[in-house]
Amino acid sequence: MKASIHDTHFVFRRLHSLLGLLPVGGFLIFHLWENSQSRFGQTHYNDQVVGWLQQLNYLTLLEIFLIALPLLFHALYGLVILYNGKSNLSVYPWQGNLRYTLQRFSGIAVLLFLLLHVGWTRIWAIWEPAIKADLFAHMQGLLIQPSVFLLYLTGLLVSVFHLTNGLWSMAISWGVTTSPRAQSICLGICAFLAVLLSAMGVHGMLGFLP
Amino acid sequence: MSEKIQFRIRRQDTPYSPAYWQTFQVPFREGLNVVSALMMIRQNPLTTDGMKVDPVAWEFNCMEEVCGACTMLINHRPMPACSTLVDTLQQPITLEPLSKFPVIRDLMVDRSRMFADLKRVRAWIEIDGAWDIHQGAPRISPEHWRDNYLYSRCMSCGSCLEACPQYGQMLPFVGAAALAAVRLMNNHPTGKYHRKQRLHAIMVEGGLSDCGNAQNCVQVCPKEIPLTTAIGELGRETTVQMLKDLFGSAD
Repeated sequence: MKASIHDTHFVFRRLHSLLGLLPVGGFLIFHLWENSQSRFGQTHYNDQVVGWLQQLNYLTLLEIFLIALPLLFHALYGLVILYNGKSNLSVYPWQGNLRYTLQRFSGIAVLLFLLLHVGWTRIWAIWEPAIKADLFAHMQGLLIQPSVFLLYLTGLLVSVFHLTNGLWSMAISWGVTTSPRAQSICLGICAFLAVLLSAMGVHGMLGFLP
Repeated sequence: MSEKIQFRIRRQDTPYSPAYWQTFQVPFREGLNVVSALMMIRQNPLTTDGMKVDPVAWEFNCMEEVCGACTMLINHRPMPACSTLVDTLQQPITLEPLSKFPVIRDLMVDRSRMFADLKRVRAWIEIDGAWDIHQGAPRISPEHWRDNYLYSRCMSCGSCLEACPQYGQMLPFVGAAALAAVRLMNNHPTGKYHRKQRLHAIMVEGGLSDCGNAQNCVQVCPKEIPLTTAIGELGRETTVQMLKDLFGSAD
């Protein structure tokens, strides 16, 4: 009997969980590391960081299969999951329940932020080759506006929260952490990772400013 | 000794009629619990407005927190009314029926879905079939017994489901109680012969993967059952089972 794989529900939930870490979460970490190098200046960033990425062979295929499609599945299936729960934080104001609720709200927030973020950079660059040629100047033009900076900061923090809290939840779902002690240690590690990734992201954002 | 305890009780005459609130007062007594206060209201069902009303309907049975029947929302949290002492509660004490189950009348709810879900996940042990499943009495280590015992305390009161953001009348999730029952039955020396069937029963819509890890269940469980540990352990077992289903295995 192969009930579990003939019923797609379980496999889809696990796939949603797995894709959230690999490749989507992995890409977020890479993306933050990549952009943290903005502090080395316009020339270094445009030539060494962006230039190195843009000369990769099969780049469009990598973008589609390692970023766009997994992200799209994770986002759309995440919206389906939203309909299977109803937050009750006002009655049970506990931190686990708070993170459950924030995980759902941050998911929507990340999705909205990404539509804007990808639109402003990757999609816009399809019509505007100047953006690709000097991405540093383009980002500086965006981030120099306080409202955009604040928006990017929010987008960064909710993305990092969604990834690190998702990682904690994933460890339980896949059966890595079972005892309350293991789950609590895992929460500490995920919180540390959240601080680290946020710092890296903010560092990168500041690096674009003149 | 003229201290009075106030109760605000959510009333509903039939499953289909609208709910309304009534306030009652009972004299305080040392060691008074919510069930005994409800018994006093039943003896003299007079609201604080002086109106004579129908006595409040509720369920209770064992009076020692093992049957789960008297579970209701006491000050908005699910608790067994028999073991909840009035001294520990803020007044006026609000009593409501559990919100995740259909109301029969006043504080009585229909929890039959819980039993349907226990059947759905095969939460029983088959002790005989066409042949003897085991030979002789199965032996079990004290450590193993101690771990299993924690889960055997479940009284199907529904508190874990009441507090769960993923559980609801219109939602498919079976909730922590049924999942913990799978954990218990799968670790029983005879029950483990049907381990795979139970795992498959929770690897579907409404099963284990519908848990959102809010972990409210373990906080409200009156029997302190390690529900989130069971969910983690089942996570591991279903991961292995999924790999076996996908790539094949003798088991």
